[in-house]
Amino acid sequence: MILFDRVTKVYPNQQVALSGLNLHIQPKEFVTIVGSSGAGKSTLIKLMTREESHTSGKIIVGGLDYDTITPRDVPLVRRRIGVVFQDFKLLPNRRVGENVAFALEVSGARGREIKRAVPKMLQLVGLSSKEQAFPNELSGGERQRVAIARALIRQPKILIADEPTGNLDPKNAWEIIELLLKINRFGTTVLLTTHNKEIVNALKRRVITINRGRIIKDEEQGRYTLEGGK
Amino acid sequence: MIQLWRVIQQGARNFMRNAWLSTAATAVMTVTLCIIIISFISNSALTSTIKGVTDKIDVSIYLKDTITTEQRDLIRHRLEATGNVRGIDYISKDEAIARFKEKNKNDPLQIQAIEETGNTLPASYSVKLKDRNKLDSVLKTTTEPAIRPLLDDKNPASITGTRKDAINNIIKGSNFVIKLGLIASIIFVTISTLIIFNTIRMAIFTRRDEIEIMKLVGATKWFIRGPFIIEATLYGIIAAIVATALSYTLLLGTGPRLSSYIDVESTISFFRSYPALIILGELVVGIFIGAFSSLLAMSRYLKL
Repeated sequence: MILFDRVTKVYPNQQVALSGLNLHIQPKEFVTIVGSSGAGKSTLIKLMTREESHTSGKIIVGGLDYDTITPRDVPLVRRRIGVVFQDFKLLPNRRVGENVAFALEVSGARGREIKRAVPKMLQLVGLSSKEQAFPNELSGGERQRVAIARALIRQPKILIADEPTGNLDPKNAWEIIELLLKINRFGTTVLLTTHNKEIVNALKRRVITINRGRIIKDEEQGRYTLEGGK
Repeated sequence: MIQLWRVIQQGARNFMRNAWLSTAATAVMTVTLCIIIISFISNSALTSTIKGVTDKIDVSIYLKDTITTEQRDLIRHRLEATGNVRGIDYISKDEAIARFKEKNKNDPLQIQAIEETGNTLPASYSVKLKDRNKLDSVLKTTTEPAIRPLLDDKNPASITGTRKDAINNIIKGSNFVIKLGLIASIIFVTISTLIIFNTIRMAIFTRRDEIEIMKLVGATKWFIRGPFIIEATLYGIIAAIVATALSYTLLLGTGPRLSSYIDVESTISFFRSYPALIILGELVVGIFIGAFSSLLAMSRYLKL
């Protein structure tokens, strides 16, 4: 599903963000990526969503070789991957339903299709009653659910959750994690980055630890550890 | 098609969200289009007036009483050979005195004087010119050795009496107004372009988060840029409608009063006959200014 083969990313200021990174994630896996700030997690995600281009190596996501795609293909790549962010990135002047529908609108879905899909997705994330609310009328946890609904509305095979619990209290954080697990059970590959030790340890799923642009630990039922594996 | 509709909807929504900026940009565009259309009206009316005035310019060439028909034809051929003659009328001595009497019918002393002296008025050619500015070519003919002896010594060729200076002044004034209109149009088109450029620049800045989200959910460049073009195009469309209505009202309202000074009849008639053409022209100019300015702003500030 996701293959990084000796991927290196060097920014124009010569900062090496990833150095010969190898990563292979199978379909339907739930993988947590941990690492301290500046370890390379964000760059890894930006390469997957094609916000950044890799300097060398090979990246294949969902069968798509990133060496062969043109700038014109980038929007299509992003439509195949759902992404959730720590700061939700919702459109504040659009209602919940409109925010979720927006992801379908940009891909040219018909109005009828959107009207059918949005309530179903809101039901999945437990926000059926909030369709007409604006984001500022929701709690942090609810906003993150809207973001997840928007990421999933196009039924992507991969969902990337970049620090989705960073702005949430423990109760809401767990609700989001449970939602991600539920989505994973339905067959979506989930890639989670987090600093939350309790969550990582409780998940008992594959954990990849990154440090200085390299994978230093990759365990099937891993635990949260700082660099050096302590 | 559905994408295009969504882009239009989003553009219209953005227009409403930026109500104050949109109103300001539309107002400036309206002023610009009004100036363009007023300049067009002035140009049309003054050109028509100039044409009317220059049409009245005749060169009178007076002939000797002793001239033969062959000599008269020779003069006509020489004048026509200048290439600047639109028409030549021959005015015989009898016709000349008839015109004199008609012109002075309220002045019995003048009529009495001419009757007492007999018909002293010479026959003449009244020459209408194609190009008023090439008058010299016609006048030069009258000084040719073969022609000069055939002309009346006492009455040299004259240009519609004493109105020449007044006509020249009207033409100079009109040309100045036409140039002024053109310069004002260019200045205001530039101002409009800059203001819309700035409005779109600010819109890009205030919507940077929204643009980022659009990119992240896989919106194409066209889908992101389209609403900005639609928004600026809307300024042009609304301004074109308002400017046409304003200019139309102004023209019809002031037309009757202006007609004493300049020929606005043909312009009013054109407006009445082709209102769709006028609004279409305004729309094309308005949309062009809007779209061009927004494309300029996006090429500078919207990096995707």
